[in-house]
Amino acid sequence: MNRATERGLTLLCWLCGLLPLAILCIVICYLLVRGGSSLNLALIFDRVPAMDALLGHQQVFDGLFPALCGTTMLVLLTLALALIPGLCGGIYLAEYASPLERRILGLLFDIIAGLPSIVIGLAGFSLSILLHRLFPGRFGPCMLLSAMALAFLILPYLVRSTQAALNSIPQSLRITGPALGASKLQNILLVLLPSRIQDIIGGIILAIGRAAEDTAVIMLTGAVASAGMFRSLLDQYEALPFYIYYISSQYTDAEELQRGFGAALVLFTLCGLIFLLALLVEQGFSRRWKR
Amino acid sequence: MTKICCIVFSTLFLFTCAISAHAGDLDSFKGQKGTLKIAGGTAHIPVMKEAAKLIMQANPDLRITIAGGGSGVGIKQVGEGLIDIGNAGRKATDKEVSTYGLTMYKWAVDGVGVVVNPKNTVTKLTTAQLQDIFSGKISNWKELGGADRAINLYDRDAASGTRSVFWKKGLQKANVSTTANIVASNGAMKTAIAGDPYGIGFVSVGHIDASIAPVTLDGIAPSLENVKSGAFKVSRGLYSLTKGEAQGLAKLFIDFIFSPTGQDLVKAKGFVAVQ
Amino acid sequence: MAMGSGLLLIAILCMMAVLGWPLVENGRFFALFSTTWSPHAQAYGILPMILGSLRITVLALLFSLPMSIGTACLAELLAPRPLRRLLLVTIRFMAGVPTVVYGFVAVFLLVPLMREYLIFGSGFSILTASLVLAVLIAPTMIIFFVNGLQSVPRSYCHAVDSLGARPMQKLIYLLLPQAYPSLLIGVILGLGRAMGDTLISLMLAGNSVALPESVAESGRTLTAHIALVIAADFSSMEFTTIFACGLILSLFTVCLIVSIRLLDRFGTRGAQHREMSTESRP
Repeated sequence: MNRATERGLTLLCWLCGLLPLAILCIVICYLLVRGGSSLNLALIFDRVPAMDALLGHQQVFDGLFPALCGTTMLVLLTLALALIPGLCGGIYLAEYASPLERRILGLLFDIIAGLPSIVIGLAGFSLSILLHRLFPGRFGPCMLLSAMALAFLILPYLVRSTQAALNSIPQSLRITGPALGASKLQNILLVLLPSRIQDIIGGIILAIGRAAEDTAVIMLTGAVASAGMFRSLLDQYEALPFYIYYISSQYTDAEELQRGFGAALVLFTLCGLIFLLALLVEQGFSRRWKR
Repeated sequence: MTKICCIVFSTLFLFTCAISAHAGDLDSFKGQKGTLKIAGGTAHIPVMKEAAKLIMQANPDLRITIAGGGSGVGIKQVGEGLIDIGNAGRKATDKEVSTYGLTMYKWAVDGVGVVVNPKNTVTKLTTAQLQDIFSGKISNWKELGGADRAINLYDRDAASGTRSVFWKKGLQKANVSTTANIVASNGAMKTAIAGDPYGIGFVSVGHIDASIAPVTLDGIAPSLENVKSGAFKVSRGLYSLTKGEAQGLAKLFIDFIFSPTGQDLVKAKGFVAVQ
Repeated sequence: MAMGSGLLLIAILCMMAVLGWPLVENGRFFALFSTTWSPHAQAYGILPMILGSLRITVLALLFSLPMSIGTACLAELLAPRPLRRLLLVTIRFMAGVPTVVYGFVAVFLLVPLMREYLIFGSGFSILTASLVLAVLIAPTMIIFFVNGLQSVPRSYCHAVDSLGARPMQKLIYLLLPQAYPSLLIGVILGLGRAMGDTLISLMLAGNSVALPESVAESGRTLTAHIALVIAADFSSMEFTTIFACGLILSLFTVCLIVSIRLLDRFGTRGAQHREMSTESRP
């Protein structure tokens, strides 16, 4: 390989390598230029005073508030459903499972992690029809269903991050507890988990990010164009990602499009914040470990 | 700045008042509770949204959710009992009515007009030309006296009532090329045409505004007046359907659409009121 | 708990199979693989969607591969240290950017550009979608490539360094061949992500049901098809076809993951990849 080819390849690497950065910059700049001007309280609360909307005295119609609330509730509910099984699953895989179990379950979780989210949405949707058939009452696509589907979606993340965190514990720490007479469960709960708590929290935060941005699942399981404020778990709801998708394909006037850009910017910022939080937690962890 | 704000706010306030002029129409919702699910035809959405807003403002205990999907979806979902009111931009077929026991309420008349981007110089077409365009025989705007660019077809999915009316009455059941881009609603069609200088598509007349240009078909413009007078042939009713007779909230909602306030809304959103 | 979720997965696959059964029963299963989708004419072929999915995926991979390898090399070898860190953090951030935001920006920025300067169509095309998809799957692949490069034993690196190799020589003759298995796994995961993504193709590919003749034309993917065809009851043909789509996508995923597992066994650093594979969801 002569020098010229080498130089050429290096140049190519630089060009290719800086491309993602450039694209990210373009996306951010474009969003800021087009959506920056619409970032104010009216974007979220329309003309309703912020306090009134927050306290539920007045409903917001032409703002992002219902969508924001919907997304927040959805994420909280998803987390409530997925957190315990996810952590337990991770602990089981890392500490209790036999090698064979670990291989089979690991494979299953990898497959779940790889399933396209629309397939999970479809499964949720057919579950709703099935329930509707069995109990011909008022059960259809709703927030609870979306949360269940999303919980299924983020479960492998939780399991895998917990498992990885526990696996990375040095052997010396692992055997200290039992040597002092702690039972296996005591050792896990009181020594192993706390020692890697930041890793685990980091994993949870990233899973929250996943649940907050997913659109394909909720569009099949209960997100609608207009629903007003979120009120009950068995109702359909508005959500931020779906709102952005809806606006991009069918805004009716310039004002609505502007709100779409505002919404995209808000979602982008939210996910950025979630990422930053995860990063900070992780940094804190590695600093503590070095000491 | 504050001054401008004040002016804007007061105008908006006045505007809101203007729509809810017949305040008595909302009285029937007093004391009601619960949720009303509406889905289906996308031409109906602007009216539904505004009506829902008025009702929910008058009675915060009510929730009205609105989804799209298309007329076919609206009819099926209401038939299956998944929603309370299904909207359709076409008449339900006899088979659909008999299988599900549906009741139809026609609350507006609408047309389906061919639209292009305002930059396009082609503003008149004949039915024959239209058939050729949508079947792919005419594929360049040059052949119609426009720019030398390929024609970008925009079509709706099979569940669309707008599409089935357009296909039956506008295209006279001629073939539609499968290479057309598919969009999911009237709003999406409008957005697509407004953004594509070489596109052609069809929307509910109520959705036509300055961002897209209506095309005169066989010498008749797709306007509200022409739909009203019957001169523009590609017209249809806008329907709301319920399983059996409308009851409870669904009945109140449909009554509201037929009330003076509701019919004012229908007119304000660009449709022909029935009462 | 872990057992439970495993069972749930199997239950979902079974449910899909059961609900898709009427197709096989009616003998219409093979009719599914015809080229016409026209519910009016009782034709429910999903072949155009399968081909659309494949085309978009392969194209996205082609665009994404040089970008990912370049970035990985830069982040691992060529760039000065502070930039490496910045690069890695940015890439991880990009993995978390909402898909719908990429789609939204592309609809208003990329589509008009494509229409005016590149392909003279409506701007909604397989090409447009795969370009954006390439950006979307790049972070997944980059993270894997970097891991692969890092896992090359230090002693080899020192040996090559002491022989006076320049960075490019080190890369070409040592790192890339050594990291080959994990590069392959990265590519497979990228493939899975591209295949499973819904929003980008739904928003940008145009969704026409014809068999696309060129990449500059509008096309529809399996995932977008599921999102577009909303059904209300189990009995309708539309519903059974979207189940067939879901089934095909699931089987595809299973194949990918199993092939990764097999590769993994040949590769050296199995555990590491397995931990990372949760980054791979589309």
